[in-house]
Amino acid sequence: MSLMGTNSPALKEKNTRAEMKRQRILLIIAGLFVIYGIVFYYLPLFGWIMAFQNYKIKDGIFGSEFVGLRWFKFLFSDQTFLRVIRNTLCMGVLNLVSTTITAIGFAILLNEVRNTFGKKLVQTISYLPHFLSWIVVTGIVHDALSINGVINELFVNLHIFKEPISFFSHKEYFWPIVALSNVWKETGWNAIIYLATITSIDPALYEAAAMDGAGRWQKIKHITLPGLRSTIIILLIMNIGNVINAGFEVQYLLTNGFIKPVSETIDIYVLTYGVGKMNYSLGTAGGIFKTFVSLVLIVIFNFIAKKTGDERLF
Amino acid sequence: MKSKKIFALTMACMMGLGAFAGCAKKKDEILNWNFFAAMHGSEINDGNEIQELIAKDTGIRVKETWLAGQTSAEAIGSIVASGELPEFIDGGDGSEELYKAGYLVAWDDYLAKPEFANLKEMYSDKEWEMFKHDGHIYWANVFNNSYGGKPVSHGFNDEAFWIQVRVLEWANYPKIDTLDEYFDLLERYYKENTTNADGTKIIPYTCLCEDWRYFCIENAPEFLDGYPNDGSVIVNLDDPDHPKIVDYNTTPTAKRYFAKLNEIYHKGLMDPEFAIQTYDEYMAKLSTGAVLGMCDQWWNFAGTVNDNFKANKLDEQGMNYVPLGPTIDKGMTNRWYIGANDTLNSASGIAVTTSCKDPDKAFKFLNRMLDQDMHNLRFWGIKDVDYLVEEGTGMFYRTQEMRDKWADSNYTKSHCCMYAYFPQWGGMSRDGINTMQPGDSVSEFFAGMADPLVKCFKAYGYTAYNEFLRSTDGTVGIWYPMYQFSNNLKTDTDAGVAWTKMGEVKHHWLPEIVVADDFEAKWNEYMAAYAECKPEDFLAYMQKTLDDLIAS
Repeated sequence: MSLMGTNSPALKEKNTRAEMKRQRILLIIAGLFVIYGIVFYYLPLFGWIMAFQNYKIKDGIFGSEFVGLRWFKFLFSDQTFLRVIRNTLCMGVLNLVSTTITAIGFAILLNEVRNTFGKKLVQTISYLPHFLSWIVVTGIVHDALSINGVINELFVNLHIFKEPISFFSHKEYFWPIVALSNVWKETGWNAIIYLATITSIDPALYEAAAMDGAGRWQKIKHITLPGLRSTIIILLIMNIGNVINAGFEVQYLLTNGFIKPVSETIDIYVLTYGVGKMNYSLGTAGGIFKTFVSLVLIVIFNFIAKKTGDERLF
Repeated sequence: MKSKKIFALTMACMMGLGAFAGCAKKKDEILNWNFFAAMHGSEINDGNEIQELIAKDTGIRVKETWLAGQTSAEAIGSIVASGELPEFIDGGDGSEELYKAGYLVAWDDYLAKPEFANLKEMYSDKEWEMFKHDGHIYWANVFNNSYGGKPVSHGFNDEAFWIQVRVLEWANYPKIDTLDEYFDLLERYYKENTTNADGTKIIPYTCLCEDWRYFCIENAPEFLDGYPNDGSVIVNLDDPDHPKIVDYNTTPTAKRYFAKLNEIYHKGLMDPEFAIQTYDEYMAKLSTGAVLGMCDQWWNFAGTVNDNFKANKLDEQGMNYVPLGPTIDKGMTNRWYIGANDTLNSASGIAVTTSCKDPDKAFKFLNRMLDQDMHNLRFWGIKDVDYLVEEGTGMFYRTQEMRDKWADSNYTKSHCCMYAYFPQWGGMSRDGINTMQPGDSVSEFFAGMADPLVKCFKAYGYTAYNEFLRSTDGTVGIWYPMYQFSNNLKTDTDAGVAWTKMGEVKHHWLPEIVVADDFEAKWNEYMAAYAECKPEDFLAYMQKTLDDLIAS
């Protein structure tokens, strides 16, 4: 920061060197992380070469035959893969939107609770599901939504359903089920960061608003939400790259013949072909495609954020 | 303060004991090896009594692990990719991949030595030839192999339309010839009986569709058309000199079969959850005795379900299943049961991996498994504890108490150790008096049955499960079963891609056409989607494989 306003290159260099000397410990630590990154994130990328080979374990990565873009051609001419991309993106967006909205809503509601004990209790209970693994959650969801499950029993007895609904026999229910499972599991946890942001909003703003005669609703609308704006944008940018990771466990564990066309995600596709059919090359090609989509999504969203003058990652 | 000291002292003592225990363990020279089967199974307890006896005898304790959640292909795929192998493995359909990756130890050198005579004895030279890859043997299938080549089975291990004996009894033991008659009987029974004595609602028919087990809905058309279980295709013998591969998914019989399922679904005879149930749910459902009938393989359900029937005394209410072998029309050839022949499936079996540090010892272990005393210990148990020997005749038998114990999973987990995927025999024992496996012994077979089941056998005058199928022809070609050539197909060939796609399409569409409101329209949609998979690529490959096999 001290360099601001100086124009002499010699001075600049001198200052930089002095600064480097002063921060050498930090630089060493940073260097270690760079090395870590290269070893564990960049070197494995060498394996991408498999996507352009007809990789066989026995021949190894150096002995396998090169086949160019054969596997990418296979992927993009495969109806299943195209459907899988659609499923992944749709479920990813649905999950992202629903979990974000519910988390924000929940954080705001929780913030309005005046009773500290009640607030703590609700918060603790609400984020507990986050610690359950998906295998447990899918088990609960599967049982609760089965024909003899809790949900059907409840709604049939309340005369909302005429007869029990077989939720997993209908394609149109599957995406909402996945989104709701995500909401149930993650709302409490995701709300923590928003709650923390809300508490950092200057109380003076609320007091001033109260003086001007603002009610609770108006305070939320004009102070809390604008206060959350930058947090929301940053989290959205960070999570947008994850849209393509719409999930593996939920879909994998809850699927059946009926809903397979809407439940399969890229991860499952890569598993069935890459590992299950031992076509590692095809699996790698699928993985590369996924990375590529993530990257594009992040760049686009970051660009939009930049244009609208909001917070951004880079 | 004082309590702290005592605590410290206790800890010190425990550490000391721990150290001693460590020393004691070192003296134990038993090797702990691993075995993985790409199948579902249940693990036995550590310290299992018979396992310990075998460990003392052979110096090897084998920890068996099974599939957990993932499919067999995924499990083998990740083992191949990681290279972390157990000492012994049965890769199932993935065996070929394990071999291709160079992870398996060749058997040939060992089989040539006299000390491995037991292993050598398992198959004739001609049969061993079937197992060869690049001129070497890498695994041996341990099932469907009778000592001396003479099967004695009273059971029926394969696929059938199963029905509870109480339904047959209710209808006064009719003869069921066709699919229509089978469902008609279920319908008539269900009209008069909708709940069991304990209040459970009866489900006339269910059909498992989960993952690879969807064969329960998928492959009936081949049987209904009068062909044996070639698995992926029918081999048509209209011209005996030129057997022809036929796709059973698209035959008129297939359409009639699915139309029938569609009909019973709309009549409310089909379990509404049939397509969404998991295997565990299916087993739980069968175990309550609620299901009157289903199409399945005996090995897929009978073990657990029959044990549960016995434990809950449901067998006394006639809940046990017997197999039926209907065809689509009356008077057709019936090949549900292809005779008491040993079916050699050379596509998979037990193998020793390159991770095994002492292959010689491993093969000795496999060889030892086939000695008669060891074989008896594995399958009959400990003499005088698990079975008794009749004086004079030398016949093995069990008391009712022993039988009940062997049907109790808590007992078998801590006591029995069959190493069920290791080399074994069916048929008669080397003494010529007993059977290799208790289930094959006539006296044991009937002694373990509840009254309604015995009555059913008597009413028809049968002495074996396989007689219920009333199969008329037991001949099969040298290619049988054809599935050994399709199960290993991978996606690096057109045939393999077609085979994979066909499976995916069927997984989705078969339940869809069963529940369809307009069957004709859905069937046509299904056929269109199926044709897009290019099944002709797969069929051409199978035809070529068949032709090559006949020519050789």
